Amino acid sequence: MMKRDAIYKTDYLLVIAVALLAVIGILMIYSSGFDPIDKVNSGLYKKQLLWFIFGFLLLTAVTFINYQLLGDYSLHIYGICIALLLFTIFFGRPVRNTRAWLNLGFFSIQPSEFMKLGLVIVLGKYLELRERDISNFKELLIPTLITLVPVTIIYYQPDFGTAITFIPILFIMLFVGGADISHLVSIVLIAAIALIVPMFITYREWVGVEGSNFVLDFFKDTNMLFAVSGAILIISIISYIIHKIRVKKILRRIYIPGTVISFGLLFSVFIQKYFHNYQKKRILVFLNPDLDPHASGYNIIQSKIAIGSGGFIGKGFLKGTQSQLGFLPEKSSDFIFSVVAEEMGFIGAIIVIALLAIIIFRGIQISFEAKDKFGALLASGITSIFFFHAVINIGMVIGIMPVTGIPLSFISYGGSNLIMSMIAVGILINIRMRKFVY
Amino acid sequence: MLHGTLKARMLEIFRFRMYFYVIVVAVAFFILSLQVINLQLIHGTEYKNRAKSNMENYVPIPAPRGEIYDRNFRPDEPGIHIVTNRPSFNITTIPARFKSKSEFKKVLKILSKILGMKDEDLKLEMKDRNPWERVLLIEDVTLESIVKIASNQHLVPNIDWEDAPVRIYSYSNMFSHLVGYIGSISLSEYKARRNEGYKYYHKIGKSGIEKEYDSILRGRDGFIRRVVDVKNRTGGEDVGQKPIAGNNIILTLDYEVQKRAYESMGDLNGAVVVIKASTGEVITMLSKPDFDPNHIIAKDNSEIIKELMNDKNHPFLNRAIQAKYPPASTFKLVTAIAALETERALPSKTYYCQGKYTLKGTVDRDFYCFKPHGSVDLNNAIAQSCSVYFYQLGQLAGPLALMKYAGYFGLDEKTGIDIPGEDQGFIPSKEWKYKNFGQSWYDGDTVNMSIGQGYLTTTPIELANLLAAIINNGIVYKPKIIREIRTPDNKDVIRSFAKDRLRETPLSLITINAVKKGMRQGVIDGTQSQLSLLKIQAAGKTGTAQTKSVRKEDSSQHAWYVGYAPFDGPPEKAYIVCVMVEFGMWGATKAVPIAYDILAKMDKLGYFK
Repeated sequence: MMKRDAIYKTDYLLVIAVALLAVIGILMIYSSGFDPIDKVNSGLYKKQLLWFIFGFLLLTAVTFINYQLLGDYSLHIYGICIALLLFTIFFGRPVRNTRAWLNLGFFSIQPSEFMKLGLVIVLGKYLELRERDISNFKELLIPTLITLVPVTIIYYQPDFGTAITFIPILFIMLFVGGADISHLVSIVLIAAIALIVPMFITYREWVGVEGSNFVLDFFKDTNMLFAVSGAILIISIISYIIHKIRVKKILRRIYIPGTVISFGLLFSVFIQKYFHNYQKKRILVFLNPDLDPHASGYNIIQSKIAIGSGGFIGKGFLKGTQSQLGFLPEKSSDFIFSVVAEEMGFIGAIIVIALLAIIIFRGIQISFEAKDKFGALLASGITSIFFFHAVINIGMVIGIMPVTGIPLSFISYGGSNLIMSMIAVGILINIRMRKFVY
Repeated sequence: MLHGTLKARMLEIFRFRMYFYVIVVAVAFFILSLQVINLQLIHGTEYKNRAKSNMENYVPIPAPRGEIYDRNFRPDEPGIHIVTNRPSFNITTIPARFKSKSEFKKVLKILSKILGMKDEDLKLEMKDRNPWERVLLIEDVTLESIVKIASNQHLVPNIDWEDAPVRIYSYSNMFSHLVGYIGSISLSEYKARRNEGYKYYHKIGKSGIEKEYDSILRGRDGFIRRVVDVKNRTGGEDVGQKPIAGNNIILTLDYEVQKRAYESMGDLNGAVVVIKASTGEVITMLSKPDFDPNHIIAKDNSEIIKELMNDKNHPFLNRAIQAKYPPASTFKLVTAIAALETERALPSKTYYCQGKYTLKGTVDRDFYCFKPHGSVDLNNAIAQSCSVYFYQLGQLAGPLALMKYAGYFGLDEKTGIDIPGEDQGFIPSKEWKYKNFGQSWYDGDTVNMSIGQGYLTTTPIELANLLAAIINNGIVYKPKIIREIRTPDNKDVIRSFAKDRLRETPLSLITINAVKKGMRQGVIDGTQSQLSLLKIQAAGKTGTAQTKSVRKEDSSQHAWYVGYAPFDGPPEKAYIVCVMVEFGMWGATKAVPIAYDILAKMDKLGYFK
C-alpha cells in the first residue's frame, strides 16, 4: 500500500527545489573551478555531480523507511556519529590543521555533517519522550549535554564554525519541543551579556576611541565586575532559598534576573580575561570588515565586491571576474553564493534565496502537519539545519554575519553536507507521506 | 479528560511556536534579501568599479613635459635647452592588493633587497589612506633597477613602475625666476583644476613659465591597462594609450644676453630687464638673489626649500616684476614730460642750481642737489640729473599733473607680462595721503615726488615700459616672454604670439624729442658717460633711490639705470635696458656698468644692425 501511494504522495515541490539548487551548485562549482588563464578546470564539479546522484538515491531510499524507525534507533545513530567523530579526531585526515575528514579509500567523509542529522534525530526522540516535563528547567540539562558532546569534539578538531551550528539547532528544537520561553530567553540573555561587554570594550580600544566614563570604567575593571556579579549571584541564591522555604512569588523577580545578570557578567569576565585579543578582534572584524582590509576582512570585502558587481543580471556564466581571477576565496565551498551573485546577478541570488526559503517553509509546514511529536520535532530540527546554514553562510558572504566556514546547503561543494542534506530532505518527504498513515 | 486538556494545550503551544518560527525565518530571509538588494542594486556600480580596479592593473604613464628653448631656436638646430627632461622611473603599488600586512612587508623587504637599498628607504605611512589608492614607493630610480624588478616579478607581485621623467633646468640659477619650477599638486590646486584632467599624483608648475604655461607643457598622460588575476598573472592583451608629450615653448629670451647680464650682476642683488620697445619681447629678465630650480624639485628638497624660505634676501622674489622701489631720478623723465605736456614749461626753461633749493613756507625747507650745477636747461638737467631743476619744474607742473602722467605711463599698473605673480607700483594721490596720514598734500610732497622720492614706487618692468612709451611715441606693448608653441618634435608651430598693444599715450613730438635728447646727453657728458664707449648710440637715465630701511650703512640706496639703444635708429630697432641694483649706491657707479655690458654684448650679437 505504501509503495503505490509513494509516488503520489511524494513532495515534488521539495524535490524540484533541491534538484534546482543542486544543479545551480554544480554549475557554479564548474565555473569556480575554471582557470581562465590556463584554461583548465579543477574537475570538482564532476565529483559534486556524483555526490548529487548518490544523494538522490539515498533520498529516495530514505522515503521508503518509516521515519519512526529512526526514533527507535536514535541512540544507535547518535552513538555511531559520536564514534565516527572521535575516530576522526584521532585518525582523521588533517586538512589545514583541522581533523574533520575521515578517509574512506577513494573518498573522504566529514562525520560532523552527519552528526547534525544524528543530533536532530536523538533530540527529537528525547523531547518526544519528555514532552510533558520539558517545561521544567532541569529537563533542559540532558538535551544540552547531548548537544555539548559533539560540540566539544568538533571544537577540538578544531572546527569552530561547524561546532557553533549545533547550538541554534538545539534551540529551535527546544522551542518547538515546548521548553519554557523564560528559560530559553534567560540562556540567550546570559550569552548576550557575556559577549556584548567585552566586544564593546575591545572595539573602543581597537578603533582608538578616546575618553572614558563611569560605566565604561566599571566594565573594564574585571575584579570589580567579578565582585559585583558574585554579589548579585549570592543575593539570587539567598532569595531562591527563602523562596523554597516560604513561597513568595515576589522573590522570583529577584533571583531569576539576578541569576541571568550574574552569570552573564561572570562569563563576560571570563571572556575578557581569558580570550586572547586576536580572538576578540576576529569577532569584531566581521562586524566591520573595513576595520582591517588585510585580515579576514579581505575575504569579506572581496566577496562583497563580487556580489555587488554582479548587479541585476550578473556578469554571465564563467565571466565573473572576482571568482575567475581568484580574488574570491574558497569560492567553490564557503563563498559559492558570491559566485552565484556575481555571475547570475540579483536574479540568480534571489532565486537561490527563494529556493532555500521554499525548502525551509515546506519543512516547517511538514513539521506543523506531522502526525506525531517525533515527526514534528524531526522536521523542525532538519529545517533549522537548513535555516541556519543559509542565514550564516549567506549572511557571512554578504557581510552581515561572522566569518565562519559553513557551507550553503545543496550548493556548496562538499559531499558530506550534500548527502546529509539530501537524506534530511528524504526524511522530510517521508514525514509528509506518512502524515495520514496511523 | 485532564490528559486530553493538557494534550490540547500543548498542541496549541506547539502551533503558536511554529507560527513564530515561520516569522523568524521570514524576517531572516527578508534581511538577507535586503542586503543583497543593497549590494547589487543600490551599490552595484560602486562595486563594479571596485571589481574593475581589482582585475585591471592600471598604471598611468606620465606624459613627458614640454621643453623650453631660447629665441635662438631653429627647428633643425634647437640650440639652447633651457629646460629639458631626463628619463627616470617611479615604483608604485596598491596596498590593498596584498592579502595581509605581513605579506606586504615581506614583498617590500624583497624589493629593497633586489634594489640593494636599505629597508628604511621604503618609508610608507599606511594609516588614514585608502588602501586601494596607488602609492609611491620609490621615486626616481634608474632603468637598471626597473629591469631588475621586471626579471624578478614573481618575487615581488603587485609592484608596478611608471615612467616619471625628471625635469632638468639646464642653466640652474640663471633662469630661476623666469622659468620657475614644478611640484606636486596641492589640494587646493587639485580641487580647482581636477576637471582639466589633473590627478592627485600630478606635478604642476608652481611658478614662472612652468606655472603660466602649465597646460601647454604638461601634455596628456597615457596608461597601460591589463587584466590580472590575484597572483598578478595576466590573461589578455595589454591595452593602453600612449602618453601625448607636452608641447615645447620657444621663448623670446636670449640665452647669450641673459648670461652676460647674469655674470655682470655678479653677487649684487637686484634685477635686469631687457625689452624690445616695438614688440614687448623680453630679451633678458633676471632677479638676484636666485635659486636653483633643480634643487627645488630634487627628492630631498625640504632642507633647501626651508633655507631659501628663511633667507632674509628673499631669493624667491622675482625682483623684476614683484619688487617695488622708489623710481628716484628716473622719474625726472615723467616730471619733464608732465611740465612740457601741460605747457607749463618749454625745454629751454632754465633754472640756476646752487646745490640746494629752498621751499618757502611757514617754515623754510631745504632740498638738496648732489652738486651745484649752475645754470641748467632741461637738456642738461636730464643729463646731469639736476634735482634742483626738477624740484622747480615739478612744482610748475603741479602734483596733479605729476600723478596724472605717472598713471599715464602705467607706473601703478601691472604690465600683464606672462609670468605669474606680477605686482604693481604705487602712485600717491592727495586723497590717499589724507586717508593714511591725516594730512593734506604739501608742496614738499610735490618736490619730493618730482625727483621720484616719497611715496612713489615702481617695479623694474614698469620703468622699462615707461621708456617704451617714450621711444614708441606713446605706444606700449605688453611684455611677453613666449614666442611660439611648437609640437613635441619641434616640427610644427602650434601658435605664435604676436605683439599685444597694452596702451597708447600720445605725446607731442617736442616733448619726446626733448626728453630723448636729454637722455642722450646723459651718455655724452652726463651721469652715464661710460656708455659713450659703446659703438652704438645709447641714451638713458640713472637713478639713486633712497630707502628708509637701512640695512647696509654705506649703501642704503638703490641704483637704477633705464636706457635704450640705438638713439639714432628707428624705434623698431630699439631695445630698452632696465637695471636695478639693491643698495647699489649711485646708479652711475653700479647700474650703468651692467647696462654697458649688456648693450655691448647685444651689439656684438648684432641686435642693432
